[in-house]
Amino acid sequence: MEARKPLLLSLIDGRGAIFLGILTAAAVLVPLLSLVIPANSAFAIPAYLVALFGKYLCYALLAIALDLVWGYCGILSLGHGAFFALGGYAMGMYLMRQIGTRGVYAHPELPDFMVFLNMKELPITWWGFQSFPYAMLMVLLIPGLLAFIFGFLAFRSRVTGVYLSIITQAMTYALLLAFFRNDMGFGGNNGLTDFKDILGFNVQAKETRVALFVASCIALGAGYLIARAVTESKFGKVVIAIRDAESRTRFLGYRVETYKLAVFVLSAMMAGVAGALYVPQVGIINPGEFAPANSIEAVIWVAVGGRGTLVGAALGAIIVNWGKTFFTGALPEYWLFALGALFVLVTLFLPKGVVGVIEQYKAQRASANKGGTAAAPAAE
Amino acid sequence: MNMPSRPRALPLETKAKSLTETLSVLAAAFFLLMLALIAAPHARAQGGFDVIIGLTTDKFPDTERALNELPGAGLATAPDIVEALVANRLYLNGPARKLYFADEAGKMFDAATGESADVMASALKKVRINNAVRRSLDAARGALTLMSPDPAKRKAAADSVFKSRDATALPLLEAALAKETVSANRKILEEARAAIVAGDSGANEVQRLEAIDILKSRGDQDAVSVLTTIASWSEGRVKAAADSASSVIQAKLALWRNVQNIWYGLSLGSVLLLAAIGLAITFGVMGIINMAHGEMVMLGAYTTFAVQEWARTSHPGLLNYSLFIAIPLAFLVTAAVGILIERVVIRFLYGRPLETLLATFGISLILQQAVRTIFGANNREVSAPSFMAGSFDFGSLQIGYGRMWIIVFALAVFFALQFVLRATSFGLRMRAVTQNRRMASSMGIDTNRIDAMAFGLGSGIAGMAGVALSQIDNVSPNLGQSYIIDSFMVVVFGGVGNLWGTLLGALTLGVANKFLEPIAGAVLGKILLLVFIILFIQKRPRGLFALKGRAVEA
Amino acid sequence: MSLTRRIMLRTAGAALGGALAFASTSAFAQGAGTIKVGVLHSLSGTMAISETTLKDVMLMLIEEQNKKGGLLGKKLEPVVVDPASNWPLFAEKARELISKDKVSATFGCWTSVSRKSVLPVFEELNSILFYPVQYEGEESSKNIFYTGAAPNQQAIPAVDYLMASEKVQRWVLAGTDYVYPRTTNKILEAYLKAKGVKQEDIMINYTPFGHSDWQTIVADIKKFGSAGKKTAVVSTINGDANVPFYKELGNAGVKATDIPVVAFSVGEEELAGIDTKPLVGHLAAWNYFQSVDNADNKAFIEKWKTFTKNPKRVTNDPMEAHVIGFNMWVKAVEKAGTTDTEAVLDAMIGVSVPNLTGGYSTMMPNHHITKPVLIGEVQADGQFNTVWQTSGLVVGDEWSDYLEGSKDMISDWRKPLSCGNFNVKTGKCGGAGK
Repeated sequence: MEARKPLLLSLIDGRGAIFLGILTAAAVLVPLLSLVIPANSAFAIPAYLVALFGKYLCYALLAIALDLVWGYCGILSLGHGAFFALGGYAMGMYLMRQIGTRGVYAHPELPDFMVFLNMKELPITWWGFQSFPYAMLMVLLIPGLLAFIFGFLAFRSRVTGVYLSIITQAMTYALLLAFFRNDMGFGGNNGLTDFKDILGFNVQAKETRVALFVASCIALGAGYLIARAVTESKFGKVVIAIRDAESRTRFLGYRVETYKLAVFVLSAMMAGVAGALYVPQVGIINPGEFAPANSIEAVIWVAVGGRGTLVGAALGAIIVNWGKTFFTGALPEYWLFALGALFVLVTLFLPKGVVGVIEQYKAQRASANKGGTAAAPAAE
Repeated sequence: MNMPSRPRALPLETKAKSLTETLSVLAAAFFLLMLALIAAPHARAQGGFDVIIGLTTDKFPDTERALNELPGAGLATAPDIVEALVANRLYLNGPARKLYFADEAGKMFDAATGESADVMASALKKVRINNAVRRSLDAARGALTLMSPDPAKRKAAADSVFKSRDATALPLLEAALAKETVSANRKILEEARAAIVAGDSGANEVQRLEAIDILKSRGDQDAVSVLTTIASWSEGRVKAAADSASSVIQAKLALWRNVQNIWYGLSLGSVLLLAAIGLAITFGVMGIINMAHGEMVMLGAYTTFAVQEWARTSHPGLLNYSLFIAIPLAFLVTAAVGILIERVVIRFLYGRPLETLLATFGISLILQQAVRTIFGANNREVSAPSFMAGSFDFGSLQIGYGRMWIIVFALAVFFALQFVLRATSFGLRMRAVTQNRRMASSMGIDTNRIDAMAFGLGSGIAGMAGVALSQIDNVSPNLGQSYIIDSFMVVVFGGVGNLWGTLLGALTLGVANKFLEPIAGAVLGKILLLVFIILFIQKRPRGLFALKGRAVEA
Repeated sequence: MSLTRRIMLRTAGAALGGALAFASTSAFAQGAGTIKVGVLHSLSGTMAISETTLKDVMLMLIEEQNKKGGLLGKKLEPVVVDPASNWPLFAEKARELISKDKVSATFGCWTSVSRKSVLPVFEELNSILFYPVQYEGEESSKNIFYTGAAPNQQAIPAVDYLMASEKVQRWVLAGTDYVYPRTTNKILEAYLKAKGVKQEDIMINYTPFGHSDWQTIVADIKKFGSAGKKTAVVSTINGDANVPFYKELGNAGVKATDIPVVAFSVGEEELAGIDTKPLVGHLAAWNYFQSVDNADNKAFIEKWKTFTKNPKRVTNDPMEAHVIGFNMWVKAVEKAGTTDTEAVLDAMIGVSVPNLTGGYSTMMPNHHITKPVLIGEVQADGQFNTVWQTSGLVVGDEWSDYLEGSKDMISDWRKPLSCGNFNVKTGKCGGAGK
């Protein structure tokens, strides 16, 4: 039966359909409601909400990337924020180069922070970033390369479990410290900000924001489909086997390291893309994104939504971040209690996340109706 | 030389009323006697400068000059003026050009005569101090207390004369030297004299060279400071001798710097050990990725603060010993919080280490915000007890008592923990449970209870670490956050599940950090260390001391 | 195919749901009849230590203004949000305050990076931000009023004082590695060299945020200070790292009479967390000290203690900056008769209000204010004792005269020039203009 379905449709299960449906709808309706409809209409979407939800979508893509390695391959990365931030920096550098003479010092080549740190010429790391294709290449390559080197070393020496988690944390912490250093030439603590144009369009214009939002929808959808394609393929079955019994898979003759490395690099690249889309929408990238707490939070999104479900990861990212937005405004003094309690309660009462609960409920209903066909396969 | 007439003889009766200690009276009398005998040429201020008037203009340069002149001005109340100024009890009446000092009880005296005065402190201005004045004050105080009956005071006085190198203090110094019996004090007095003589271009060359030799034998950073100053304005043989002496000392100090790095490294290592050792139980032995560990440390620090607050308001006498109350109390408080967390949350999550990470991260947010709500977001002051202040010299190495006690405390905690784990029945049970829970359970061990106790133990130790860390770091809601990552690094580097690994890991990382810091700078040094840990884990995926056997794969 | 139909059905349903979610979020209620004031200070995370106090000050000022009858006949309504020491969240919250809550002005930020993060937002949405903290300068935005000190209102007078009064010849510039210390130290280095200090008499040291082990650096400072010349440390060390730094200075016996440390980021709040007895005599340069003796300040301290219900609460310089900024805004709004951004921006320039040090502060055309500079020495009770102060007020200099890139630039937001980076050499608006 599966073989007869078109390839794309075979990747879309019930959950995926809802997920992609919402994404498509958002990608169509948001431009409509924010650009076409007059601003004073009850249905009009203000610009700040577009930027806000655009940001959530980037987080959702990061969560899917993380779910791919954690939910399907059993690698708990506490350093995925690093890949996200590196992608963001690559995009930020492109945006900085686009400022040109509109910086406060109007230097044709050097970004403002270099002028006031008395740098005389553009550091070699910045070369080429005025070109959008090059920058986009770097968005994929830099996180990918870091993941490759790191993964190659770690998986080859069979560093697993908590050891791996802790050294991924060490990695992002080391990068945090490194990017804080002004001598690195990436703007130090202030990071990169005050962007003007992307591809010739003003980043602050409503149209550009909407376009970025739509791009985020597309990237998230594409990221989801790629992750599905990977996990549904034969390759993906091996990956899941590694998660469940690494030694046994190795003894069956699979090169476990290669599989892990491939998934890890793919995931890092997806995180990089998420970061790249994030930066023009929030308007700043700085070393704070490397903070280990951010990476841990990303893991929590996945857990809240439901590990190993992809859609759940995205959902978790959006729920937690929307909660954060809401509570930091509504209960500024107490929101950490709410957030902390959320994490504790989810781990205690929803071990399979929000999606897990929904699946369970549906499975119960289905078994009551029909007498029990199997629940969704990936909901582990 | 036209100092207004002042009672030159000591008004003993008045003095006795004004001072609580008879000893000080004798000291003052003795001082004046010496002054009359030796410092006669300096007995009065020069150039028509009146010390009392100088102190009443409320201008720093005048105050400074007045203090410089004070030891030589032959004023009976000089020691009172100095002590009052130190204690911020010296008052002036600008328009009337009158100076008053208050004793500890707040009784006012005329500073010119030493007679009690009928004025209100509130109606007067206090004599203000800045650093320049403070320096002169230290010098004057040094010169005036060289004869103090208290050897410790004499030592402090000699030290301050060495620092000020005030040539006018030379006669007093010589007199003090003649009387001094404590050999350590004699040495400092000789060095102080040498520092003055060596810099005195009027003295003869042989004397100056001798003085330089004495300074050379002192051989510390202060001596270098004096010698380079001397070299900068001298010439000929004196300059050459000063230069060579300072370079000899510098070379010696450079060698000592390695010792210093090791000491600093051990000190940093002991801090890391303290921070990590509780985690070595909860994470290393029990397998809980305890992100709330840092907050346990923070709770310990806040317990210290609370104990000190309590002591400050109701039992001031206990303030100095508050740490001894805080240590067990911090253990109990954090252990209780730990047991509560274990019972309410963590016990449902055994065997799912990654989910403990999520839950404990949530708990850490709650604890942070709870402390912020209760105690406020600001830093809280935790004072150091007197036995932790100050330092002593070991060769050319200055060892702070605070740092030393922290190292001792860290090691004590470590060995006490080893003892608990190895030699008590609780330790035995705990090890049994962590090695094979089901087997232990079938042998009749109440694993639930042991789990709770073990988590309580780990948390309690973190709390005790917080007491120590409150002495060197901020006591703020963020305290724990700054140690959590380092703690995990230490435990993983040392080898999960092995306490000795944690000890060695902490000390190694501490020492390595302190040797890297002078070369690479603080930031780069830390980055290099993290990269080193990452690479080291590739080489030894289970840390320095790996557990062997079947337990590894579990 | 039933599967495709199901997908389409779900798509439609989801689309409706999505639209509703958006609509409901955007339809937050808006209060009527009040003027809203945004308070954008971190209440959690690393900066909560410093910023929470500023939030409290704002609440107090607003409460007080309301007791006086509000502004333009309306009550003021504070809108407090928590950007949680997270810089992108600052931008998000700023956007929320302006777009959703429609605040008339915002008081907020502490770190430079948070200000840099929100700057494009305030410019894009044309709203007003009051920034109350000393900073590195090199910025002037149409929408931001800088009520803290620029480097010439803090760093340079402090160095002058040490040179004149303490005869310092050798300098350690120690700072946390971020933009404020970097820039301040660049300016100071250029300034010291202009004063004839040689390169070998300047030592520059940077440490990471929250650095807590100062043993090595304090030992280095001691060594540097023993070269026979009077040495001082100019500290731009950031908040958190200061406590362990001072504790280490105390432990190592570095006294203010030997090597004084003058700090630009240490105020009464920071000292409240330290036992200051070993630190007596170390210095700080600010534009306000709690110990300043005048009636206005006494009244303010009294009100603050009552408001916080804590007789031990201290006041500090950024608090005074908010007091000045808030009073200026109130006055400008009254003058303009509206809270409309453009009108208030125009009315702000030239507004003069009493500061708490006994004088008046005026908003200059470059959006910086005039302030006195005070040098204070730490006392045993955690307060500062003013030992020196500028004879008059100092105008904040946004573009430093000592930096190559900015010495020809000025900022003047009066019409018709209205330019933040006017180059006096080329006569054009727009930076160095090469």
